[in-house]
Formats: sequence, C-alpha cells, structure tokens
Amino acid sequence: MPVQTAPEAPGISQDALRELIAGFPRDQSSLIPLLQQVQEQCGYIPRDAVDSVAGALGLFPSQVFGVITFYSQFYTAPRGRNVVRVCRGTACHVRGGKKILQLIQNELGIQDGETTPDFRFSLETVACLGACALSPVMVVNHSYYGKMNPKKIAAVLSQYASR
Amino acid sequence: MKTLTSPSELLSLRETLARRRDPSKPCIALCGGTGCRAFGSEPVLAALRREVERAGLSDKVDVMETGCHGFCENGPNLVIHPLGVYYCGVAEEDVKEVIYETVIKKNVAPRLLYTDPASGRQVRLEEEIPFYEKQKRIVFADNGLIDPRSIEDYIARGGYSALTKTLTGMSPEDVIQEIKDAKLRGRGGAGFPTGMKWEFTRKAPGRVKYLICNGDEGDPGAFMDRSVLEGNPHLVLEGMAIAAYAIGDAQGYIYVRAEYPLAVANLRVAIAQARDSGLLGDNILGTNFCFDITIKEGAGAFVCGEETALIASIEGKRGMPRPRPPFPANSGLWGKPTCINNVETLANVATIINRGAAWYAALGTEASGGTKIFSLTGKVNNTGLVEVPIGISMRDVIFDIGGGIPKGRRFKAVQMGGPSGGCVPARHLDMPIDYGTLQQIGAIMGSGGMVVMDENTCMVDITRFFANFTQSESCGKCSPCRIGTKQMLTILTRITQGQGREGDVERLERIARTVKAAALCGLGQTCPNPVLSTIRFFRDEYDAHIRDKRCAAGSCDALVISACQHACPVGVDVPNYIAYIAAGKYTESVELIRERNPFPSICGRICHHPCEVKCRRGELDEPLAIRALKRFAADWYFNNYIGLPEPFPVRNPERVAVVGAGPTGLSCAYHLARMGYSTTAFEALPVAGGMLSVAIPEYRLPNEVIQNEIKYIENRGVEIRYNTPINANFTVEDLMKDGYAAVFIGAGAQRSQKIGVPGEIEGLEGLYYGLSFLRDVKTGKQVRMGERCVVIGGGNTAMDAARSALRLGAKSVDVFYRRSREEMPVSRVEFEDAVEEGVRFHFLTSPTRIVSGNWKVTGLECIRMELGEADPGGRRRPVPVPGSETLAPADTVIMAVGQAPDLSFLPRDSRLERTRWETLDVDPNTLATNVPGVFAGGDFVSGPGMVIQAIAAGYRSALAIDKYLRKDASRVELRDEKKVIESLTAAPAGEEDAGALPREAVGKISMGLRTSGFTEVETGFTEEQALAEAKRCLRCDLER
Repeated sequence: MPVQTAPEAPGISQDALRELIAGFPRDQSSLIPLLQQVQEQCGYIPRDAVDSVAGALGLFPSQVFGVITFYSQFYTAPRGRNVVRVCRGTACHVRGGKKILQLIQNELGIQDGETTPDFRFSLETVACLGACALSPVMVVNHSYYGKMNPKKIAAVLSQYASR
Repeated sequence: MKTLTSPSELLSLRETLARRRDPSKPCIALCGGTGCRAFGSEPVLAALRREVERAGLSDKVDVMETGCHGFCENGPNLVIHPLGVYYCGVAEEDVKEVIYETVIKKNVAPRLLYTDPASGRQVRLEEEIPFYEKQKRIVFADNGLIDPRSIEDYIARGGYSALTKTLTGMSPEDVIQEIKDAKLRGRGGAGFPTGMKWEFTRKAPGRVKYLICNGDEGDPGAFMDRSVLEGNPHLVLEGMAIAAYAIGDAQGYIYVRAEYPLAVANLRVAIAQARDSGLLGDNILGTNFCFDITIKEGAGAFVCGEETALIASIEGKRGMPRPRPPFPANSGLWGKPTCINNVETLANVATIINRGAAWYAALGTEASGGTKIFSLTGKVNNTGLVEVPIGISMRDVIFDIGGGIPKGRRFKAVQMGGPSGGCVPARHLDMPIDYGTLQQIGAIMGSGGMVVMDENTCMVDITRFFANFTQSESCGKCSPCRIGTKQMLTILTRITQGQGREGDVERLERIARTVKAAALCGLGQTCPNPVLSTIRFFRDEYDAHIRDKRCAAGSCDALVISACQHACPVGVDVPNYIAYIAAGKYTESVELIRERNPFPSICGRICHHPCEVKCRRGELDEPLAIRALKRFAADWYFNNYIGLPEPFPVRNPERVAVVGAGPTGLSCAYHLARMGYSTTAFEALPVAGGMLSVAIPEYRLPNEVIQNEIKYIENRGVEIRYNTPINANFTVEDLMKDGYAAVFIGAGAQRSQKIGVPGEIEGLEGLYYGLSFLRDVKTGKQVRMGERCVVIGGGNTAMDAARSALRLGAKSVDVFYRRSREEMPVSRVEFEDAVEEGVRFHFLTSPTRIVSGNWKVTGLECIRMELGEADPGGRRRPVPVPGSETLAPADTVIMAVGQAPDLSFLPRDSRLERTRWETLDVDPNTLATNVPGVFAGGDFVSGPGMVIQAIAAGYRSALAIDKYLRKDASRVELRDEKKVIESLTAAPAGEEDAGALPREAVGKISMGLRTSGFTEVETGFTEEQALAEAKRCLRCDLER
C-alpha cells in the first residue's frame, strides 16, 4: 500500500501572479476578475496573493479581503482537487435535494464548506445552477449530473476516486 | 468572416448565406444547452459527427449543436429537419439508427419518440408536442435552429437586420418611442417600462453613459436567461447595441453569473465574431455609431442582481446596494448615467424593431406587451422553459403546457417569482399572469420562475427554505434586512422542528411587514413575500405545525416519523405493522393496528388510504399496498386465531354512553374501554356498524367481515344495546340523568339530500335515493330495478348505487356527474372497477328535470356543463352550457348527490347548539358541544366522510372524554407513536439497493361472477404476495 504523504497546499508563485496582474488595468474595477483568475490557477486565494493584488491595484489589503469574504465564489483555504457542488435551489429542493446533500455528506464524510483531509473532494452548496428541469442536480468540477437519486451518488463520486 | 463596412454588405452576405442553405438538406439539430449536456449530449454530438463523416455523408447531412430548446427534462433532445421529427433521451448507441433509419430512410424509431405523460400518446413531430404547441416563441424562436457559435447562422435567419434598420433610418428618439409603444417592461422582475428607463438615461446629462445587461439570474428555479445567452447570444448583443444607440453612445457591459460557464464561453465567442464582422466596435456598418461590450463575471452573490449592487460589483467593491435617488439612470456606474436591462428584456428588442411595436403590444395585455419566458419546474409533468403571451392564465401554463401534476397528486400551489415572490393557491389559478394582477395576491412576476408544488409539499418548509436562502444572501448593510431575515428564519425553523409557539405567526407577520417597508433594496423589500403569502393562503398549515405538531404534507422531519403514519388520520404505526407481516407475525401485526384502529378488516377493504399517497416508495416506483396488507393480516387473524380476546379491565368508575354504534361511535367506545372505562353504545337499528352495515354493498364489504369486527369489540368489553334509539322518548339528557358521566353522539349522516330538481316527486316509481336504495339492497329488501338505470352523483354512494344496480339486473347503468373526472371524490380503484363492470360515465352533465309519465320515471333531462372560475376552495364551479340540453331515457333514477346529518332525533328544545348549516357546533379539538359532558363527532358533525376519518374522530373524542373526566383542560393531541421493536427481518432494502419491484396486484373474482351477484370482488393477497409486498417497505421510520 503506497505511503500517504501529506498533500502540499497549492499556491501561486510570485512570477505567475505578476503575469496575471500585468493583464489588467491597475484600478479597482480589475479586482474581481483578477481574483477569479488567481483562484482559477490554484483553487483559492492564498494569503500572500492578497498583498500583491492590493498593492498592484492601489487598494488596502482590507478592501481586498472585504471583497473576497463578500462573494461566495472566493475561498481563503485550499480546496480539494474535485469540487462537488450540490444545488439547493427551489426546484431541486422540491424534488428531494436535501436528501441528496445528506447522502453526499455521509459518503464523503465532510459537511458543506469543508474539504476532505486528502484534498480529494471539497463540498459546497450552490443556490441555483440553472438546470432546474433536471432537479435534483449536482456538479463535480464542470460536469453536471442531473436527476440525482441516492443510487447514483456513489456511482458519480467513484468516477473521481482516483483523480 | 470578413468585416462588413456597410448595411448593403450585410444584406448581400445574408442573401449569399440564404442561397447556400438548402432547406431540403437534412439537418440533425442536437441541443447543446447545459441541461442536455448534463444528460450526456456531448458524446452523442461527437458520435453523430463521427458517423456522418465515416459514412461519407458530410455534404449530405448537417449535424448542428444548437442552444437550449427549453424542454430539458427529456434530454438529450434532437430535431431532424426538415422532417421535424423530435427525439428525446438520445444516447450514443442510438446514433446509427438516427442517421440511417430516420435521416436517410425517413423511418421513425418509436422508442426515441416523446411520450405525452398526460395522454400516453407518442408524438412524432416537434410542433405536435403539447409542451410546445401552446407556446408563442419569439425570444426562443431560433434557439433550436442555429448554432450559437456561428454568427453566420444568426445573420442568415435575419440577424442584425434590426440594428441595420435602427442605424439607417431611426433616430434614438424613434427607437425609444417604438419600445414605449410596444409596452415592453423589464423582464428581470420589477417590470419597469423599458422605454421610460431608456428615456431617463438618454436625458441625463453627460457624454459618458453605460448600458449594462444583467445576466445575474440568481433566482433559484429560473434559467431562462441562461438559455438565451447560451443559445442565441447574438440576439442579446443586437438588443444591447440598439439600446446603447437609443441611450446615446453608451458603452456596454454584460454581467453574467459565474455559475453559467457555457453562457460565458458562448458570449465570448459571439462578441469576438461580432467584432470581426464589424458589428461591434467602431463605426458599426460604416455609420458613426461605436459600441463595444465587456463581459464581467459575477462572483456568487444573489444580491448582485440588484442594480446598484451589480454596479458596485463591476466597480470592484463589495456588492452592496445604495439608496436611491440618485437612480442609476442619472448616476450609476462610476457616477455616470447607466441603464441596466435584463437579458430577456434586451432579447426582445430586435423583434420589436423588426416587426413593429403594434404587433408586439397586441400579443400581451393592456398593460404589458409581448411574451414572457417562464421556467416551469417542480411537481409538474413537463418541466422546462415556456414562452407565452403575457396574460395567459397560470392554469393554462401548468396544466395545458405543463401537463399537470405527476403521479395523480393534487396541485397545491405555484411559487411565482422565486424567493421574492409569493405562492398562488388553486383558487387563483385562472388569474391572468401580468405584473399588476399578481401583485394583488401578494406574488410577483419576478424573473419568471414558476415552481409547482403538490400536496406532499409543506408550505411552512418551503417558506423556511426561501428564508434560509435570502438570509444567507442578505448583504448585511441595512438593519431591517440583516436582522429581519435572521429572525424570520429562526422562527420558521423552530416551527418546522415542532417548537412553534402561539403567537409565532403574528410575530412573523410583524417582522415581515417591517422588513418590507424599511429595507434598502429589492432583496429586503421582497424577501418577506413568501412569508406573507403563505400565511395568507396556508395559515392552517402554520397552525397545525404549532398547535398540533402536524405536517399535512408529511415532510417536516421533526414532526413526522414516517409519512404514512403521519398521513393516517388515526396514526396507525404503518411501518411496524408491515414489518410484522414481513416477519410472518400476523397476529402481532393486527394487535399493533388495533392500538389505534379497531377495524383492520374493514379498513383493509374500503379505506381510501391517504398513507399510500404519501408512501416514499411511490417516489421510486409504486407505493406499498398498505391497505391490502392490512386486510391480509386481519383476515388471517379472523380465520386462524384461536381463542377469544379478553375484555379490557375496567379501572375507572365513570361510565360513558355512546349514541350510534357506527364506526365513529364504536371507535370511541373501544378506545374508552381500552383506557379503562365502562362504555355502552346505544344503537337504533338491530345491527351495529352504521353506514358500513346499511349502505356499503356486500361486494365491497361482506356482512360477515363487519360482524367479526363488531363481535371483537364487544368481546373487549364494549356493551352494545341494539334496537335502542335515542329520541324524544329517551334523550341525551336522560342518559346523563341515568348516571353516564359523558355522552358521545356519533349518529352519522344518513339523510339523503334532495337536489330539488323539477320532477323530483316523492313516491315516483323508479325514483330512488342513494342511501335508502343501498340500505334496502343490503338488508335484503326487494328492490325493483328497471332496464335503464341512471345515477346522479359522483361520490362513493353513487358508485355503490351504480354497481349495485348492475347486479340487480339493469341492462345499462349511466352515471351523470356535474363536475369533471378529476374532481370525483372517489378512489381510482372504485372508479376503475365500476368502468370495468360496464358502468358508463358522463361528466360535466347535470340533471334539469326528471321526466315521468303515469307516476313512472321515463327519463332524465340533462344539460352539459363547463368548468368556470374557481370557488374559494379552489374547485372550479360548473356552469351550464346554454342550448346543450339532452334527454336520457331511463326507467330508474337514483339520486346520490350527498348526505346530511339527521338531527331530527334531538328534541327541539335541546340545549345543544347548532350551526348555521343545521349541524351540531363542536370544538374542533375536543369535539365537545356547548353542554359539558356531551361530545359529538364523525359524519354526524362534519357530514359524510371517509371511514378512517370517522374512526379518528372516535379516537379523538375518547381522548377528549378521558381528559374531561380527569378534569384535564389541556388540548387533545393525536401524536404519532413508534414502538421500539427489535429488528425483525433482514435489513430492509434501503433506497440505494431497491430495485424496481412492482407493487403486487390484489386478486379479483372473474367479471362474470362480479356482475351476476354480490360476491366480494377483491380476493385479497395470498400469503406469498403479502410477504413479497411487505418486503418492499423502505422503513422510513428507521431513519429517525
């Protein structure tokens, strides 16, 4: 059995960060798109990236934090390689979305907003994915899975067991 | 794609593209929207393309990936043009058949066709699908016909002609006037007149202006903007360009939520293509008009759908709204005049310019022109995106287009407008959908989300759900919303957890009204709407949760052990009695049932089983046959159990009298005996059983069965005095003087109601009344039955009368019911059995005159009805259709239109209070009358009802009488109870493992035997069937 090494927390190098920043006008209107690109690269907004971004756009780090913490898209802690999003929209709720979430939480062993210790999965809920006719819906990374029922959960998650 | 520098170049390009297109060339248009992708449309697309190429058909057959068709439920969907054949649920392995069979040979593959759930018909062509038939697709017109990533497709179908028309012949003021005349209103929710908004922005001083397209569709349940952006992005770009021109050379932004990656991707492609073609950027089509668009992605905040919060987000700040005035039209993005329009609003602009404001305005209502897209989801057969003219009724959308509620359940409410909207109950379904009309009932048009709910949806839970959403999305800036949403959520959560307190509803209303009045932005101002509208229309559900700890929908976990037990009016522990059966312990099963219901054998035959409607197994395949299982166990007991049951020990000194030994009276007496009281039931007839004995026909409920259960009750210590009526000679007061400490009146509802139809002459030969007819049949009296029998009515009595008439020799039996099939208050089984036996039904037909000659019935004059507006209870009132009278020849007419309690046995001067409707007035919780010690319930108080409701009334009154005698003034509570029983069987199949096991079918005797006599029709389960059926139970109670 292979030895389980502690996974490294992903981050973003200063060079990569500088390259990203270079692509944007140096003012506040770039803040959200820039943060979105940082997160695209490493899955969250590392602490040291905040200072560089703030400096580049002429903002205080507190202002950058204010934006990061306001929008639910941004994370300040590393997330798993596979992000599982369970829809908690109205149509999904009416068709049993709550149960799906419970079962996924049991299956993964984590709650909404948490990441598995091996960084394989992060679980979050989304207000609505816009695929309401398929309710209940879950998304893993960019793949949508509709008409979820308890039987399908294990099958879907096992596709990502080795990623 | 070369850059177009003039309108004439665009025109000739369009003509070239049109010429190149051969309408007879087969094209497979596969939906590539997010919904169908979730169902795996991408591999299908790849397989189609591969196969077409492999077969050398690339120049003979086109394969196109289009945008969302809107009918996501059955994806992956495709349409084969020009045939028009619509296939759904297409998988990779179907590709060869699609190409070779259908495209080439024009043969249809039935298994890929759409099946209409309402009619069961298979539909070949897209245009024949009921879901599409009634829609009016303007915005969605091209979604299934173009590749969203091809500007050429868009241009070929007339795209950018509106922009051309605008730039070459209209002034900005002309454009604004046209939009005003079209009566286009904001489609994002508030419905503000678009033309006016453009005008305000145009008139605002300043040269730098902004036009923002709001694609932050955050309402859970709404996805129309997503489909437009994914499927026809150029339509939106063109609309934006026209808007920017009208406002005055504005710069464009599209704000799209991050949760729509496909929409973002398709927009980027579209913008790049438009720029390359010279349709975006500087000097568009060679004019002075310059316009470009930047895409901004949202970052996951519902509040950013609100104008000023959205602006803050673009500016790179926390998405918090600010007070208005100043309005964005004057001071918006970076302080400049800004016009924000919703995606759908902008998507209508090009059509208005092309086809004219008059045409567009005519499509809607006086106040609002055009169409609206609704996302119809939830408990409805056809879910998807529906584009309809404004002013259509909700009933038409949900039932005609949506195909009604699945699994035969009842409609309860539709949520209009998401978490900002309100719920609309059945009685308002005929209301036209318009901005103003919906506001009158506390709902809003909103973005167009319509979530349909059925009887299994708990309105309190739904409200809590919305409150949870808005509370977490509240930005926190203003106190009313920040604190108010939290408080409303706290109260609602407590209520759903069974910790509601008296006064909670009033508290909720106060907070809701305050937040509505004082919040800073639309989120706060509208989030109280679900609270206020559910309290308005479903107050009884709140009260039941708070006072009785009951959830009628059976869904609040804290109140419900298992939905079946909770749905049973008397709270029988269903999962455990079924578990006993599965373990072969039939006697234990029956004893468990009898803790609440002393009539297992009877209910196993005639109960209307509300438990089965709620059975969770029904979500997987079919509900458990709970009723038939009960019958099996009870029959086994009566056939096999040796020994007599012991009488209950008498532990209390008080004696209780029960008037009427029907199911209510006997249930009351039995439970009182169980609680240790000595009880006596006074029965006027020589037999006990009430309606069961004198009305329900032998073929549904044999007399022997009834007598077994009554004997059991007598053996347990209940005394029944037959032939002892309570009337003027021996009154209720006399009973109390005799020393009975309490009296319960369960005298039933046995007076037939007359309709008062002309010709309804007493004594007419051939004219019968349902109840007395059935009583005569049941008690063996000679009943003259003619050859042509007509029955009037649609309830159980009418069914029983009709089927009895057949068995008595009628050659034809026709039932006339003034309402529709869906409204008949009978179980599906009873109706189907009647139809099988040859009874003919005529719905929406009402009698107008009984025709007779020589004192004999000769016929029945009827008139056809149609369903009109709904009454306060939500049932549509039947209205006669003038000129549709017919005459049905008949020699026997049986009137079975309803029963009423017969209070005539109570002396006129009795102190007992009556209601306006000549029934006894009782406390709904304790069933106590105004006279201390006298209680009443069952059919006698509430009119004819189902047997299990009668039994429950008896149980409730027993609990109430017990409290009364112990001087306990607290409320009566019928709580579900669960015995802890050790694991009886092998671990029950969890939902995860449950394969599709169909429900066992109950045996019936042959048709010949059925109609020739009164032998019991149902033969019940065999032991093998009972064991198999019992094992299908999911044991929902074990999760608690």
